[in-house]
Amino acid sequence: MAENNETVYICRCEEVTREEVEQAIREGATTVAGVKKRTHAGMGLCQGRTCRKLITAMLAQGRDPAKILPATFRPPVRAVRISEIAQGEEE
Amino acid sequence: MTGRGDVIVVGGGVIGASVAYQLAKKGRKVILAEKGDFASGASGSCDTSIFLQSKNAGIHLQLALASAELFKGLKEELGHDIEYHVKGGMILIETAEELKVMEGFVARQKKTGLQVEIIDRREAAKLQRGLAEHLVGSTYSPQDGDVNPIELTLGFAKAARRLGTEILLHREVTGVIFAGGRVEGVETAQGNLFAPVVVNAAGAWAPLVGKLAGLELPIFPRRGQIMITEPVAPYIGQQILSASYIVAKYNADKLKDSKDRAVQLGVGLSLSQTEKGNIFIGGTREFVGYDAANTHEAIGTVLKNALRLVPGLGSMHIIRTMGGLRPYTPDGLPLIGFVDGREGYFMAAGHEGDGIALSPITGKIVADLICDGKSFMDLSALSPNRFKL
Repeated sequence: MAENNETVYICRCEEVTREEVEQAIREGATTVAGVKKRTHAGMGLCQGRTCRKLITAMLAQGRDPAKILPATFRPPVRAVRISEIAQGEEE
Repeated sequence: MTGRGDVIVVGGGVIGASVAYQLAKKGRKVILAEKGDFASGASGSCDTSIFLQSKNAGIHLQLALASAELFKGLKEELGHDIEYHVKGGMILIETAEELKVMEGFVARQKKTGLQVEIIDRREAAKLQRGLAEHLVGSTYSPQDGDVNPIELTLGFAKAARRLGTEILLHREVTGVIFAGGRVEGVETAQGNLFAPVVVNAAGAWAPLVGKLAGLELPIFPRRGQIMITEPVAPYIGQQILSASYIVAKYNADKLKDSKDRAVQLGVGLSLSQTEKGNIFIGGTREFVGYDAANTHEAIGTVLKNALRLVPGLGSMHIIRTMGGLRPYTPDGLPLIGFVDGREGYFMAAGHEGDGIALSPITGKIVADLICDGKSFMDLSALSPNRFKL
């Protein structure tokens, strides 16, 4: 990883940096979903398990974190093999 | 901020953003009001396909072909990478009965000017690995493609803003202001906005926005559920649909009478793969009001259907699901045009699952109709006044 302070990864799955998240917020993102749309943060394999909280904190700067709309949660909770889900339908 | 312009566009999805961009390009001062963020409805919860083959022969396909032409230079025009590619596409055919339906469908599309043919299973297997043994064949068109729908929406919006469009996010329109039967503007919680033309581009929410002007719009939310895999190496070489998708799309009335749950859910296969490698697996077409949730039943049914047609997907993993509301209309065509009896009130909604593919051309014809009163083709078939509003 680069040593300069600017390359801080907020979303490791999609390799989204702090700078990119800040840019998205400057461009009008006010929610976790808004940042996700503009940067892809939270779209990767872990679906925002770590970055969701970091992004909420960045959005909250100067505001009440409780007022930041959370990300949408959708299934599955973790990656599942397609053949296993389809198998479940047969039973 | 002035709150005054030539046109107010209600809705920040792909249609509203495209309309704003094209109007701004014609020198109009546009105000775009969106109740949430960009691409918060169908534009942010759909797959990536720009299918020409899924359009009915006639005006629907003509619009899609004209739209495909506009897509070609759009990345440069907007100054935004929309991840557009022409990849070709196929519609998988499972039975002799489907083959017959598709032969008619394809023949009519050819007459409208689409390059499309029917190929046998062997030819299909050369184009796409992992296909089921029982397939009869497929259609193939070299003209289908894909795009990143969120980037497309953001790209239109950014370009519109560069051309002077005032973009108001988190600004819900709560009323329409009329004076003597003429539109004067809209009300929002944060103050009124004024313009002599208001465009309702609110997608599946268009009927709710329409109510503010006393209109009963025949647009109904229809839920589509889509599953997304982890990023995998290139696997889906072109856009893929199944013939049952076409049936589900154009026969909404027949679906509910079926005893098969998959048919009731409107399940038809759609497959596309993004630049990053995620495969989008669709989908359903369900009337469940404004409920955009994913259901366990639909996830299982869609994936079982996908495996039946493309067993090769079995070892991949699902990381995410999406549910989105598409703006369905009874005749499968959007409502585009001024509304009789509401001078200045313009409709641009009702594209169901074709909004992404038709967004460039929709922006263009809306801007043409508003600024010049006509466009390059006869659009009377799209007029909202074909319905009793």
